[in-house]
Amino acid sequence: MAREIYLDYAATTPVDPRVVEVMAECLGLDSDSANPSSTHAPGRRAWARVQTARAQIAERIGASPDTVCFTSGATESDNMALVGAMRANEHRGRHMITSALEHKAILDTARALEVQGVEVTYIDHDSDGVIDPDRLAEALRDDTVLVSIMHVNNETGVLQDIEALGQRCRERGVLFHVDAAQSTGKVPLMLKQWPVDLLSLTAHKTCGPMGIGAIYIRKGVSLHPLIHGGEQERGVRPGTLATHQIAGFGKAFELADPERDGPAMAAMRDRLWAGLRAIEAVFLNGHPTQRSPHVLNVTFPGVEGDSLQLALAGVAISAGSACNSDVPEPSHVLRGMGLSDALAASTLRFSLGRFTTEAEIDYVVERIREEVPRLRALASGAPAWTVS
Amino acid sequence: MDYGSEVEQRFLSPSRVGEFEEDTPGLVSGEAQDRTLIVWIRFQVQVLDGTIRAARFNVYGCPYTVAAADWAAEWLEGRPSEALTKLGMRERHQALGVPVEKLGNLLVLEDAAVQCRLELESGQGWKGS
Repeated sequence: MAREIYLDYAATTPVDPRVVEVMAECLGLDSDSANPSSTHAPGRRAWARVQTARAQIAERIGASPDTVCFTSGATESDNMALVGAMRANEHRGRHMITSALEHKAILDTARALEVQGVEVTYIDHDSDGVIDPDRLAEALRDDTVLVSIMHVNNETGVLQDIEALGQRCRERGVLFHVDAAQSTGKVPLMLKQWPVDLLSLTAHKTCGPMGIGAIYIRKGVSLHPLIHGGEQERGVRPGTLATHQIAGFGKAFELADPERDGPAMAAMRDRLWAGLRAIEAVFLNGHPTQRSPHVLNVTFPGVEGDSLQLALAGVAISAGSACNSDVPEPSHVLRGMGLSDALAASTLRFSLGRFTTEAEIDYVVERIREEVPRLRALASGAPAWTVS
Repeated sequence: MDYGSEVEQRFLSPSRVGEFEEDTPGLVSGEAQDRTLIVWIRFQVQVLDGTIRAARFNVYGCPYTVAAADWAAEWLEGRPSEALTKLGMRERHQALGVPVEKLGNLLVLEDAAVQCRLELESGQGWKGS
């Protein structure tokens, strides 16, 4: 196994060659690289690319194209949803609800809103990381403006019941935002049926380019813009549209079929888990079945996570979410699910994707089966807190 | 993370992992831990005629911690027992390729070595001839 094995698709994904091809058609001389806001012929061709991509993305999420607004990525979309919705609805109240297991893009934005006087409730979840819709209903108040819950947890892969959670919000007239950054291509997004008002999307978790995302805004929902300076995207998110990135985004979403790819990913994820669970004392984090097909979050008690990562040189995996990798603190998601600091630090996230092969899975299992006993022997005699 | 060649080499192939037999002459042990840093270390050294003849360790921690423990065990061998209080991790961490933010982990190693010295001075180690 000569080349590096990449099992960190939840951090980012390799750009599909078919996506690269479409992007290249929008770069350089004699391409569709003009400003899509320009009214001349090259501009209109670029605009056509943007609209094609918008339709591709809308098709994938089950929405109409005029509800898709381009942003720089899911982090910006999350900020737009939270800050934009709270500001646009100050007359209704200053309370929002989210979960302690959300991505930092939500949590840090929520904390920024708290500093500005918004009251934020961090709703409880069970030990598997699942939020009970009835618990959400109990937390809703007359002054609740917005609920924000992620669809697929980026660290554990746990799936929330978006339809049920959204229904509770809809019954009370509360806006419901979903961070779906990890969802596309793995699990279906059904916005025609789901009671969702705002949805964050990104291209780079779905074999598309970095630096481009979108926010779905249901018709009739108003957001205060965060950026000012033009009329692009109906003034909700002005700024010159990046045609090449948008075209790549659209193509990536066109290719990302969860009905076709989801079962294959799940089979490989299960193959990986079957190999790892044979190791003594190893356990899975998150709901055993209510989960995305592409993420496996596993704790190896008695083995320090950074050490296991280095021992698996040549295998790209994560000992925590990439957005937190510069922070030497245990995962807030795992701590929130009840793991001790030591167990959280003994945890690796494996995330699969379109180009993962069975041979790679088998190789990784074999290497881990070799290294875990070696590292445990290195720590022979260690106190009980290192394994509990 | 780029660990550097020395840290990687010592981490992947540590040369002094393990424990001595219980009846090893001149055996003393020392342990230290820091749960916040997620580090535990145990040193065992064989001290005969005031000299550290051999050193072994077990460790739970990151690759920097493992590499530093391996270096420390190697450095101690052949030195007088007073060296157990002179690991000097504050001065040595850069030469080892360990970043300053991991210095806390290395200070735990120092504590474990000091515990060996204390056990030696208290006479609690192996009491055979």
